[in-house]
Amino acid sequence: MSPAAVAGTVAPPRAPSHAGGTRAAGVAYVAPAVFVLVLVGLLPFLWSIWVSFLNLAGSTRSGDFVGLANYQKLLSDTKLWAALGRTFLIMAVALPVQLVLGMLLALHFQAERPGKKLFVALLALPAVISPMVAGSMWRLMFDHRFGPVNQMISAFTEKPVVLLWVVKGSLPFWSIVVAEVWQWTPFMFIILLAAIANVDRDQMQAAALDGAHRRHVFWYVVLPAIRPVLIIAVLIRALDLFRLFDVVWQLTKGGPGNRTETISVYMYIQGFQGFQTSYVAAIVVVLAIVLSSVLMLALRRVRLDR
Amino acid sequence: MAIDIKTKVLGATALALTLAGGAQAQDQDAATRAIEAAREFSGSTITVVAEAGLQALLDKQITGPEFEERTGVKVEIVELPFEEIYPKQILEHQAGSGAYDLMLVAPAWLADTVENGAVVDLQPFIDKYGVPAEDEDINPAFRDYQFYDGKQYGMMVDGDVLVTYYRKDLFEDAEAAAAFKEQYGYDLAPPADYARFGDIACFLTERHAPDIYGAGVINTGYMFLMFSERFRVAGGKFFEPETMRATINDQTAVDVLTQMVEQNACMAPGIETWGFAENLSALNAGQIAMTISWPPLGRWSQGVNIDDEALSWVPPTTVADKVGYAINPGGHPELAVGFMSSVATNSDNKDAAYLYGQWMHSRAQSLKNVMRPVGLRDPFRISHYESPEYQALWPGAKDYLTVLNEGAAQGLADFAWIDTYRYQDAMSRAVIAAISGEDPKEALDALAAEWDALTDEIGVERQRAAYEAWAAKPSAYRDE
Repeated sequence: MSPAAVAGTVAPPRAPSHAGGTRAAGVAYVAPAVFVLVLVGLLPFLWSIWVSFLNLAGSTRSGDFVGLANYQKLLSDTKLWAALGRTFLIMAVALPVQLVLGMLLALHFQAERPGKKLFVALLALPAVISPMVAGSMWRLMFDHRFGPVNQMISAFTEKPVVLLWVVKGSLPFWSIVVAEVWQWTPFMFIILLAAIANVDRDQMQAAALDGAHRRHVFWYVVLPAIRPVLIIAVLIRALDLFRLFDVVWQLTKGGPGNRTETISVYMYIQGFQGFQTSYVAAIVVVLAIVLSSVLMLALRRVRLDR
Repeated sequence: MAIDIKTKVLGATALALTLAGGAQAQDQDAATRAIEAAREFSGSTITVVAEAGLQALLDKQITGPEFEERTGVKVEIVELPFEEIYPKQILEHQAGSGAYDLMLVAPAWLADTVENGAVVDLQPFIDKYGVPAEDEDINPAFRDYQFYDGKQYGMMVDGDVLVTYYRKDLFEDAEAAAAFKEQYGYDLAPPADYARFGDIACFLTERHAPDIYGAGVINTGYMFLMFSERFRVAGGKFFEPETMRATINDQTAVDVLTQMVEQNACMAPGIETWGFAENLSALNAGQIAMTISWPPLGRWSQGVNIDDEALSWVPPTTVADKVGYAINPGGHPELAVGFMSSVATNSDNKDAAYLYGQWMHSRAQSLKNVMRPVGLRDPFRISHYESPEYQALWPGAKDYLTVLNEGAAQGLADFAWIDTYRYQDAMSRAVIAAISGEDPKEALDALAAEWDALTDEIGVERQRAAYEAWAAKPSAYRDE
């Protein structure tokens, strides 16, 4: 399917004599944008590739060329792989929860309801807060003495509860998931609400008239219609979760120990506290290549033009 | 001939004036010399790094404006949170930004900071402006901190040492003392070792909880300081010097960390989350009978000069005149962090930066700084400990200053070798992991493996040389 067809238009036939000039004009139009993209996107990446072959590391290295040494180190760095595993674990838990909650909220608010605009605005609020601020806020919420989370649990259980949310056992992991779900479910909600609002009402009514249950209308009419938007939303959130840093840093700084260290936190510690510049560059290069490949494959499979 | 006589007379006069001026300069104290010399740089601006919060307030509200008023040199303060001071300063240096003129350096970072080329040798400035005699007044433990590889790079401005604070009223209660002696077989007194620290914590918690717990400790942040003091007091060493393999997972280390974790059971619920502020709050609120922390707690728990607006977050004290001071269990407290001023290599205004540093470091000015409620500057000069003015601040001030002086003299220097920051961070994480539930032995094994990997990465021989240089200092291990 051609881009023109996607846009619902048919390109007019061009006169051969104008083809060269049109192409030159097109190149001239996009050249500044391409230049900026190369400057801010590609050059730093190429620089990172170069640095990853060097030995730049704080006070301990000379900046010599070391070939693939940083990549070899990366393969045997158990803390790196553990951080990567944790990142995927957080993604595997938080992303479906955000998706399901966002979808339920979007479906709930697709109908006109009293105070809908107010509620939608309030529900969207967490997504506009800086993640650093959200992390600090949840740190207070989870405070074992003064935080409302423990106070509410105590009120429900009618006995004093002292849960050390950012310290004990698996609670730090769950506190990160809760904060992350709280902040980014509204993103899913807003995107899906907009997508559902654009679903053809006639099709939905026709299906309902044919006796389809609401569940079936959702499954066979709404879901296919919003699928491209849904997939893009999931991809954006998945990438965001892969880069998860702010909330973790504010809540646990990757601790206790390394128990909540995500890949971004690990790279920050290595790069900005340990000054392992070349090693972090190697990690960045590998992750960028892997993530770009996964993203391209995913987008190709999604076939957004359908 | 007449001309010759005139010339000789003028020459002799000039010489006499020069000598008189020189003698006058020699008589001047370091603060006065710094102020007078800095006037030459009037109209310039220096950028000074300060730890975010109270440390920075001193420079921003008091000393910076005063320096500008007296010299014409404007002092701009850049505040950095503690954990960002070292990385940010090094990053700015590597970027060649010249963002800072006067850096803030903890003694443990000095070797790495110098190796990075981020700060300059101060000797030319000392020769030009300094009053070396004033350095003899610095507590030897801190004086040594200012040097690396035989050269002076730092000027102490804050002398830190951990102190044991205890509630005299609870410790001196005759009934409690008798019960304690009966139960444990020794007197209820400031603990002589960390086992006794735990005994007292449990005893007083049993007796007074939930109103008062036997002890409070800091369990988040800075944990390498808390652990490395207890580890060394117990006889632990960080490395096996022949192989440079980490020995921080030996039986001594495991016992120390296990003891730290177990003692938390006798403290307030949620003690695992306590940092400096929680500990201070609990002491001032009268909720803990004993704690270990930095020197400001002694002043704030007494409520000395605490009415400054900047200190409004400090809870009002309910324990004034009830707090006693003691050297930490084991007798060798950690000289935990402390700060020095160092002149940045990339500074365009090194002389003015040095002179502000000299002024802050000087005997006269530093005494004012360590007595102020804001600033978090703690005594580091003998004249601070012996100052009648300071000793008169509250009834227990003399005892407090004696403990600081003796504690520093017997203190343990923070470990410092190549890439210290990474070793510190790894240790803090391992200790916090154990405190939050991980098996101490496993946490320490992982720490030792991480340290070994770091050492291999840096180079065993290179790190051995740095470690041996550090370990040779008397404050490294305090072996009896």
